[in-house]
Parts: sequence; structure tokens; C-alpha cells
Amino acid sequence: MIALAPLWLTLKLALSTTLILFIIAVPLANWLSGDKGFFKIIVKTIVSMPLVLPPTVIGFYLLLAFSPANFFGHWLEEWFDIRLVFSFSGLLIASVIYSLPFMVHPIQSGLSSLSPSLKEAAFSLGKTRWQTLTQVLLPNIKPSLLTGIVLTFAHTVGEFGVVLMIGGNMPGKTRTASIAIYDEVEAFNYHNANVYAGILLVLSFAILLILYSFNRKMQQTKFY
Amino acid sequence: MRKKMLFFFISMSCSLQLLAQSKLTIAVAANMQYTIQELITEFNKANKTKIDVVLGASGKLTQQVLNGAPFDIFISADKEFPQKLADNHFTLEPPKVYAQGLLVLWSVKPNIQPAKDLKLLVSPAIKSIAIANPKTAPYGSAAEAILKKYNLYAIISSKLVTGESITQTSQFIATRNADIGFTAKAIVISGEMKGKGKWVELNSADYPPIEQAAALLKHAKEANEGAAKQFYNFLYSAKAKAIYNKFGYIVK
Repeated sequence: MIALAPLWLTLKLALSTTLILFIIAVPLANWLSGDKGFFKIIVKTIVSMPLVLPPTVIGFYLLLAFSPANFFGHWLEEWFDIRLVFSFSGLLIASVIYSLPFMVHPIQSGLSSLSPSLKEAAFSLGKTRWQTLTQVLLPNIKPSLLTGIVLTFAHTVGEFGVVLMIGGNMPGKTRTASIAIYDEVEAFNYHNANVYAGILLVLSFAILLILYSFNRKMQQTKFY
Repeated sequence: MRKKMLFFFISMSCSLQLLAQSKLTIAVAANMQYTIQELITEFNKANKTKIDVVLGASGKLTQQVLNGAPFDIFISADKEFPQKLADNHFTLEPPKVYAQGLLVLWSVKPNIQPAKDLKLLVSPAIKSIAIANPKTAPYGSAAEAILKKYNLYAIISSKLVTGESITQTSQFIATRNADIGFTAKAIVISGEMKGKGKWVELNSADYPPIEQAAALLKHAKEANEGAAKQFYNFLYSAKAKAIYNKFGYIVK
């Protein structure tokens, strides 16, 4: 009998990461898609870093940062009695960093592809920046938003290296499905590994299938 | 110019081949990470064999061998995993025990004093206890056994943080990410970790003996059987025994 906890945990982690990143990424992408400046290029570079960095680099720095032996970890523990390493919150922070480009990039390119006249028209009709963003721009880039959400979700489900380094494989807290698979293979439980792996395989296929069919539909209806 | 290049490549490939002839790849249980370096240095005083070491939890390495990893020798942290390889016909001869490992409780937090009775683990001041994965790391299963023997396992299981091998476990402790943890004596008394924090040797009668065995693997036949046999035999020599002793193992 396999434990379902790793699957629930993965789902919880992926959903929370997606929600947090959506809230962060919309304003960030909106800002990044605007006029260019040197500072923006630096921010863009930082946002894209998790794409090229091995997860172990992020895991290593987070492990150092979270450690109570170092400044940040010590400060958190002294002031808030929080220890992030080996905890769900720690994984959540790691996932948010690790999946950041997967949410920001689609939204940013969606916003950049919109004609500037859309924004100008909204401004001249008296909409505020916020209203323009939420009522005019975002509804026009639904496929990009969906792509960002789905990719972030799927990427978080697939996260492994970072979790291995800072998770500590704690059942119910940090043992996600990808770690559980690794664990079961190492322990010679091929059957259990197969079940987890199979579920993830079907899940990823379904998610991407839904995304692509939805985006296709959107593109067909876009100009009506 | 061309001739020179050609000569260069030929001599390169020859020398590469020469290197390949005296090269071994061995799979080594993580608790031996410092010991193995000294063993290799000692061995190579009389030989010129390049030995690549792959470290990991014994269970994980066993898994890799079963799936065709090209290792010549497997140095495990227990008897069961090499036996499993022997049962599956991956070894050239039955595995033999080379040393017995000891379990220690270790902490580098200044205000924590590890004690043999393990009672301090219950204290709320200790939030996380590092242990190697009991399914794949023999030191992890030994730690689990002693916790169960002292009737502490159920009480503290929510504090347990699992390292995938004894090295990751030790790293959790050494970086203070875990308050305290179970590791191998060979790790805490090695050069790198010496003097870091405090450790106590646990009562060896309270956990099943960690008898560490090694096996000569079939892959050695395809590559470099002579050198593999030499190193394998060296693991049981008097010189090697002196090194095990130095790193805190019990040698019979």
C-alpha cells in the first residue's frame, strides 16, 4: 500500500507556489514589460536565473541562508522562532524562487505583445493604471496567464534537487512525490515508485493537454 | 604541422589507454568517505592505480550495481547489501567483513551536550534530529534501532530529519541545520570534522553491530581484474586494519 501523503503534499506545494507567484508575477511582469532601463535589465536577468542555474545551486545557498548558524537563519529563529530548513515553508520559499521565471516570462511576453494603443486608450478614457491592468490588459492575455499558471504548477510538481537538499525527506512535511519516488527506488520498492511515477506522468500529460487545447480555442476565438 | 598533430593525438590516445589500464571505479559507503582516501594513499605507495570513488548510501549503491553501474569493488556499511549483490550473482566471491562501525550522537550547537542515554532528544530545545535514511543507510537503521530500544522513537519521530546518506546527515549536523544527529564515528574523528562540536559514542550493545563488508564485483573482470583484486585484498591487510583503527572502527 502506498502512502498518499507525498502526492497531497506535492499538490499543496504546487498550488501554494502558483498562487503566491501569480500575485507576485503580475505586477512584476507589468513593470518589466514597460519602458526599458538598465535597472530593468538587471531585474530581468535575476528573474531568469533559475532557468539556467542547477537546482543544487539554489538548494545550496538556501541551505546556508536557512541555517541557524548563519545570520539570516539565526535572525529568523531569534526574532520569530521560525526555522525554514526542513519545513514546508522553506520548501515554499524555495519553490517560489525556483519557479519565478515560469510565471513571469509568459505574462511578460503576453503584455509586451499587446498593442500600446490599448493601454493609451484606457488611460485616455480615464482608467487608472490598476484598472487598466486588471480590466483591460489582463483579460486580453488570458492564454499567457494560463500558460504561466500551468507551467509554474507543473514545474513545482517536478521539483527535485532543491527539495532533496533542503527538505530532509520528512513524511507529510517535505517528502514530495518526486522525493518519494527517489526514496522508493533506493529502497528497492519498484512497485511503489511505479505508482507514484505513473500518477505524475498521467497528471503532467493531462495538465499540458488541457493547456494546449484551451490556448488553441482561445486563439481561434481571439478576433471575434 | 599535420604530422605533429597526428603524433600528438596518437600519443594522447596511447597515454589515455595506459591510464585506463590501471584505473578502478569503486563504490564506497558514505561513512568511509575520509577513510577511503587514506586507504587509497596507502595502497598507492606501492601501486600506481588510479581509483575513482563513488560515495553514497550503501542501499543506493547496491541499487546502482543491480542496474549495471560499472563498479569494480563495493565497500558497504553493512553485510546485507553486498550479500544481496552476491545473491544476484553480481560478485566474484562471497563478501567479507572488513571492519565494524560505531554509531555516535553528534551536535555542533554550543548549548547541547550529547549524552549516551539519549534522553535529551525529548527536550523541546531540540527541534530537529538528523538521521540517515534507515532504508538505505545502515547507520540510519542502527540509529532507528537504538531509538526504538530506548522507547524514544515514537516520541521524537516528528523531529527526525532524514539525510539520503550518512554524509548528507553529517552535513545537516555540521551546518547546524539540524540541532543534533546520529552519524558514524569515522566521520566525527576525521581530519575535516575533528574538534567540531561534541559527540558521544553510543552503547554498541544497544543496536545491531554495524559489520561492514566489501565485495569484489563482476565488472572487475571486464576491466581490470588484477588491480581490482589487489585493492580488494589490500582492504583486509594489516596496513588497512591500522587505518580502520585510526578512524574509530573496530577491527577483528
